[in-house]
Amino acid sequence: MLRTVAFVFRNEFRLFVRDRAALFMLFLAPIVIIAVAGFSLGAMYGAPSRRVYVIPLVNHDHGAIAAAIVRGLSHRGALRLSEQPDLDSSLSFVARRDDAPMAIVIPAGTTAAFESGKTALVRVYIDPVKRIQASAIELQLSRLSRQIAATARRRAQKALAKRTADLRAQLDRIVARTRAIQSEFAEFERTLKGSRAELASAMARRMRARMKTLRESVQAAIERSASAQKAQLRGELARKQAAVAAVVTYLGQLQSSKREFERWFASLKTMAGSHASEIPPPPRFPAPPSDRVLAELSRPLSVSIHTPTIPALKPVFDASELPPLAVPAAPRFSLDVGRLLPAETPVLPGQFGWRERSLAGPSATVNSFDQYVPGFGVTFLLLDVVWGVSVGLIDERDWGTLERLRASGASLVGMMVGKLSSRFVVGFIQMVVLFAVGWALFGVELGRSPAMLLLPTAAIAFAAAAFGLVIACITQTRDSVLPIGAVAAMSMSAIGGCWWPLGFEPQWMRAIAQWMPTTWTMQAYNDLMIRGLAPSSAVVPAAATLGLGTLFLLIGIVGSPRIYK
Amino acid sequence: MPQLCLNPASGNIGTVLAPQGIVDVVGLAKSYGSRLVLHDLSFSVRAGEVVGLLGPNGAGKTTTLSILATLRGADAGTVRIAGFDLRARPGAIRRKLGFVPQAIALYPSLSAYQNLDLFARVQGLSASEARRSCAAALEEVELSDRANDPVATLSGGMKRRLNLACGVVHRPEVLLLDEPTVGVDPQSREKILKTIRALARAGATVIYSTHYMDEVERICDRVLLIDRGRLVAAGTVAEVVALAGEHPRIEITFEREPPPNWCARPLLSVNSVAGAERNKVELKLDNLSQVREVLEQARAAGGRVLEFSVHSPNLSDAFMTLTGRALRDAEPA
Repeated sequence: MLRTVAFVFRNEFRLFVRDRAALFMLFLAPIVIIAVAGFSLGAMYGAPSRRVYVIPLVNHDHGAIAAAIVRGLSHRGALRLSEQPDLDSSLSFVARRDDAPMAIVIPAGTTAAFESGKTALVRVYIDPVKRIQASAIELQLSRLSRQIAATARRRAQKALAKRTADLRAQLDRIVARTRAIQSEFAEFERTLKGSRAELASAMARRMRARMKTLRESVQAAIERSASAQKAQLRGELARKQAAVAAVVTYLGQLQSSKREFERWFASLKTMAGSHASEIPPPPRFPAPPSDRVLAELSRPLSVSIHTPTIPALKPVFDASELPPLAVPAAPRFSLDVGRLLPAETPVLPGQFGWRERSLAGPSATVNSFDQYVPGFGVTFLLLDVVWGVSVGLIDERDWGTLERLRASGASLVGMMVGKLSSRFVVGFIQMVVLFAVGWALFGVELGRSPAMLLLPTAAIAFAAAAFGLVIACITQTRDSVLPIGAVAAMSMSAIGGCWWPLGFEPQWMRAIAQWMPTTWTMQAYNDLMIRGLAPSSAVVPAAATLGLGTLFLLIGIVGSPRIYK
Repeated sequence: MPQLCLNPASGNIGTVLAPQGIVDVVGLAKSYGSRLVLHDLSFSVRAGEVVGLLGPNGAGKTTTLSILATLRGADAGTVRIAGFDLRARPGAIRRKLGFVPQAIALYPSLSAYQNLDLFARVQGLSASEARRSCAAALEEVELSDRANDPVATLSGGMKRRLNLACGVVHRPEVLLLDEPTVGVDPQSREKILKTIRALARAGATVIYSTHYMDEVERICDRVLLIDRGRLVAAGTVAEVVALAGEHPRIEITFEREPPPNWCARPLLSVNSVAGAERNKVELKLDNLSQVREVLEQARAAGGRVLEFSVHSPNLSDAFMTLTGRALRDAEPA
């Protein structure tokens, strides 16, 4: 089988080399299309345009904004302004000239509106047919608008800063004065409190002195009174003592008389003999006080009267009991200038804008050929390889050479492998040549590792060859393989992002694109060439492309009997 | 030795061989859908023999050759070529075969030499062998001076010759030729037939499919008449013609309508006198020696003969007789 593969492979190359149309389609046609697309659509990728566009301008404002717009657009190398008297003339200007994609009208009062803080709008009239050119100019207009707004903002910022500084100075002065008042008031408060303390102290001293005098005088009066009372008492006592002594004496005598009576009566009774029992008892004498009592009564009275001592009087005045000093609180001015004014000069809100940066480097400008060389390269690779494989198979069937080769001992598998592998190599070489031409003529970026571009290139060449087999199975005739193959290849290229960025497409189309090898291949190329990602970034997309290619190959193998029936 | 036999399928008589040849076909059947293309086809070809496969368009000649060339499978029957069973050893058979398809199966953009070289190499020849064989094949078909010209620039006859050369470049034991002279000029046709004869002389077994009976008569040892997928008759040309029981015919064109009964002794029969051309007469003869006698009778009867033609019975007549159908609409120039 290897022999068959080798000879069919070589034969395919011989056929290919003899086919001038195929050579044209392989190399010259893609280079021409790439050049045309790259130069004409470069503006889509921000490439500087080499063409001068004329912009009709109607200036009803004649203010600073209008002047800035005119000045700004006049300084753009690719633009030239053409002053027009009115809108109608501007629109007809745009309609009749292909280098005028839009007209600009600056309404009256634009500057006034802008300067008074209102929204100022400049009207731009776009020719839909020249949408892409207009978009490029709109970008420039957008930049200019941002510049004008930024300039005005800077001026406003300066004025605001000056006013803020003045206000800050005034406030600082007010704060200083306020602080002086606060300081004076605090001093007054301190003085007042000192006076109050001295007053309290003096009052306390005087109170204590007066209390002492008062005590002493009272004490003397008491002592005098007590002395008098003592003397008087002593006299009374002496008299009482004398009376008691007389009583005591009497009582002593009475007691002796009792005892003598009792002795008498006892003698009486003896004398009464038998009748003694009849004699009534004498009345009973009360028992005299005991001798001790009597002794007590007779003891001289000893009465002493103590002179009371007046305790030291505490002054009834306490300074702390003085009513609070009703000093009004010092005014607390909370004039915090730092709070009244921000630490720095207040700033106007900044502009919200954007600045392009490449994922991989500082330059956001993309060489349009970085998209179109691989994009159209893949397109032509698909066309050439799909046509090459499918037309080749169908031609061989129609010529009879396929049967002849089979009758000569060539295996069908060997012939298939030979054909597919030769077209794979042709497609691979085609892409390599296109990259080389793109690099040499159009300065395309080959990424960090140009050799890594070979991986997705090999994958897409394989997928294209396998897809050619599928197309041959579907179409089965030369007449149908050309249009169907072309439509399939171009649809696959377009949807897969070969002609424009995938992001331009609606979601449903992007979902379909995931099943197309072109999508993954372009992802790999864009990653390597435009985004400047690491060489390893191409591995997964290339694997996906190979996977889809293998799927195509299986479908082609299953359907290949349809080609030869 | 060939034997005259009754073809059991068709009921006709022909020469068939015992299955001992280099090509043995027994009970071959093939249909495309409901259309029966081959029905119980059996024949045998000996080594070195040139056998013509003759039949009208759609008779099954190309299908038969395609099956022998291992390009199509048969529904029934067995085929052995060079001792190999076709079903079991198609690869081995391909090495023995040279196949020249009816279409000009060449790469138009490649040169004559490149086409030859490809088929030589695919057939297993080494580079040096291929070089020698290609040169020899080009010499044989007289295209050496155009060896490096793209096929697309060659004339139709040259392409046919190159088509033949590509089938024989590796010197096959068995050569299958499917109408190799269709649409070629007489000169190229002669060269093609000459080449085939040379190959046969060199020992190749040739199965030659055609609907040109004169080619069969000229180069074939035997002929197999096929119609609607069935073998109608087989044998040498003479045997097949004889089998059909055909006689020579003479067609005479008079200046004006000849007198009635001008032919005193009707030789066999006045076959036809066309209505619009009543001055033309066709007669069947017993043999060719009667031509002179007929012409003399015509002159004697006063008829002025403008022209006459004598037609010996051939395979086309035999085919017509055997099948009731014409072999083809027009004979080659």
